[in-house]
Amino acid sequence: MHAFAERFSTNGAAAELRRAKEILGEDDDVSDVMWGSSGGFGSLVNGVPKFAVPSVPDPTSFLRMHTDDHADPSCRIKIKHGTTTLAFRFKGGVIVAVDSRATAGSYVASGTVKKVIEINPYLLGTMAGGAADCQYWETYLGIQCRLHELRNRERISVAAASKYLSNLVYSYKGMGLSMGTMICGWDKTGPAIFYVDSDGTRLKGDLFSVGSGSTFAYGVLDQGYRWDLTDEEAQELGRRSIYAAGHRDAFSGNTINLYHVKEDGWKFIGNYDISEMHYNGPGGADGYGYDVRVQGRTSANPPPEAAAAQA
Amino acid sequence: MEAISHAGTVLGVLARDGVVLAAEKKVTGKLLDLSGVKEGGYGGSGEKIFSLNANVVAGVAGITADANSLVNYARQAAQRHLLHYNEDIPVELLAQRLCDLKQGYTQYGGLRPFGVSLLYAGYDPHYHFQLYHSDPSGNYSGWKATCIGANSGTAQSLLKQEYKEEMGVEDAVALVLRVMSKTMDSTTLGSEKLEFATLTLDPVTKQPKAKIYKPAEVDALLQKQGLGKKEDTETR
Amino acid sequence: MDVSFAITGKGYVIVAADTTAARSIVKMKTDEDKIKVLSPHLLMAYSGEPGDTVQFAEFVERNIRLYHIRNPHGLRPQSAASWIRRTLADSLRSRRPYSVNLLLGGYDTSEHAPHLYWMDYLGTMVEVPFAAHGYGAYFALGLLDRYHDPEGSLEDGLATLRRCIDEVAKRLVVAPGQYKVKVVDKDGVREIAL
Repeated sequence: MHAFAERFSTNGAAAELRRAKEILGEDDDVSDVMWGSSGGFGSLVNGVPKFAVPSVPDPTSFLRMHTDDHADPSCRIKIKHGTTTLAFRFKGGVIVAVDSRATAGSYVASGTVKKVIEINPYLLGTMAGGAADCQYWETYLGIQCRLHELRNRERISVAAASKYLSNLVYSYKGMGLSMGTMICGWDKTGPAIFYVDSDGTRLKGDLFSVGSGSTFAYGVLDQGYRWDLTDEEAQELGRRSIYAAGHRDAFSGNTINLYHVKEDGWKFIGNYDISEMHYNGPGGADGYGYDVRVQGRTSANPPPEAAAAQA
Repeated sequence: MEAISHAGTVLGVLARDGVVLAAEKKVTGKLLDLSGVKEGGYGGSGEKIFSLNANVVAGVAGITADANSLVNYARQAAQRHLLHYNEDIPVELLAQRLCDLKQGYTQYGGLRPFGVSLLYAGYDPHYHFQLYHSDPSGNYSGWKATCIGANSGTAQSLLKQEYKEEMGVEDAVALVLRVMSKTMDSTTLGSEKLEFATLTLDPVTKQPKAKIYKPAEVDALLQKQGLGKKEDTETR
Repeated sequence: MDVSFAITGKGYVIVAADTTAARSIVKMKTDEDKIKVLSPHLLMAYSGEPGDTVQFAEFVERNIRLYHIRNPHGLRPQSAASWIRRTLADSLRSRRPYSVNLLLGGYDTSEHAPHLYWMDYLGTMVEVPFAAHGYGAYFALGLLDRYHDPEGSLEDGLATLRRCIDEVAKRLVVAPGQYKVKVVDKDGVREIAL
């Protein structure tokens, strides 16, 4: 782990050595998919992409003054604030669903945030944590994916794209980046989802949910999930799961954005108001809300004679 | 005890769907200014019948001053119960609270017991409609129909004859007024001599609803029952 | 780390609590009963600060019993809940407050209806159709919004409870292993094996 960190640090002896190695083309650990193909030779010269770091002795503490971290320096995971995103794989592709609320502390800063970043027609990234971080780096990822396509005459795999992002954010570890994202798409291997966060974690999986409302979403998602869901069932499950989080988590809410990734790329299914879902549901007839669903039902069970007396 | 046997009669009848209370007021003289009690606060003149809580009304017989003190105590006890348990005090419990107090005054020399008997008409979810009687010694008991005050013996035997099991509140009202008209000293009944109250369930909320009749309502009720004064004799 | 759930259904309340007693990172005991039977128709699941929990639960138990002895009839669930809430609220304002969270499930024999109250150590009380305390709440509440049926049979209720327990087992890092499950209905209180 330490060696890995050292390898991606931007200064120090190891970094110097690495730069030299890169120029000589001796980088053996980083896979060809990422850097090594002949078409992508140009990227090797630049090594791992760099991002201007504040030129002060301690960039981390400098950054902290300009983020909400300064209020609570021990709070390093901002992901836990204000979002619900989810994605799952099933036989019909990938469903991606997110809420649209942006919060700054207890303040609802916006209710119309696009938390799905359309990297390219086959790749989606979700946004949790720092909005700017996600937006900037996933757009950047989009550029790199396009370059990959041009260099290699084929689309980048989801695995490769996510690995690129993972390596990228890892190189900034400890400097205050805050992202929890799912890179979703369809490639040669079929539908794929990778969870990538700013700690450097990268996980391949069938089902993920990220953000403060994720536990509530998981509760509904896990219980309703099967591989052989139909497209409609899967979309409904995604919607219901985000609804659950939007309803129970104060930092999530407003509206749901729903995407479906299939073999021919992603498709935007729709934007759904959570209050509207609570009372009326997507079809206008069946609200998701507990009170709406159980209206008129009661747990009381008076014996027949008592019930008759009540009437 | 002596004071009670001279006090105005209070009569209570328990029905299937309610409880009825009626009380005779002793008008001490023609010069007593009753103009202030024509309307009453929550209804009635507040002399004999009192609302103790949302679910209990009581009729008192005995020393009025003592009764006021007891009513105040009962209301406080009921509110305390509401505060602690967020429910209307069960009727028997309220009777018990008052009796605990009354009993205390029988134990020590130098203290005078409360010269008051009470009838409690109440409702709670445990036993639904209930009617209790308590005497100055601190004894209490539940009744289907009972009576305290002057002529209570006569009234009691009348009630015993005429009480029917499972009677509705309408019948109980009629019974109470009939017995009352026979036991009271005066020949005609009127709001200046009678207080009247019912406790029923609100048909909508299913919560107990006490109604203490205003003087005008008492007169109207008596007219309806054919026991009131003739129209021409009403002015005085 | 305690996890507790409660679910109402047609004429019953199910109360479930995990059975681990932990201190630091050590499991001290794995069959601890954290659900007190307060009266023939009243159950209380308690969690929170070790020590406070049992002390408070026993204090409540004895006082409810005392009321039963003193008075013509026992406390109904809503009255017991109100009294317990007040006790907690008074405690909060004392020199050393009890840090105890409760789920109170009871069956009101006078109105033939089950009641469930969610209560926290701050003296917050709310009557709910289902409830959870601890980390389990984060996973179960969304699920219960979706699957709970107020008119469900006991089997339905237990199936819903199983969903909650399974979900927590699946997603919670420190998920407890076993649960004790008790039910209260018109016939009183009994324990059920899941």
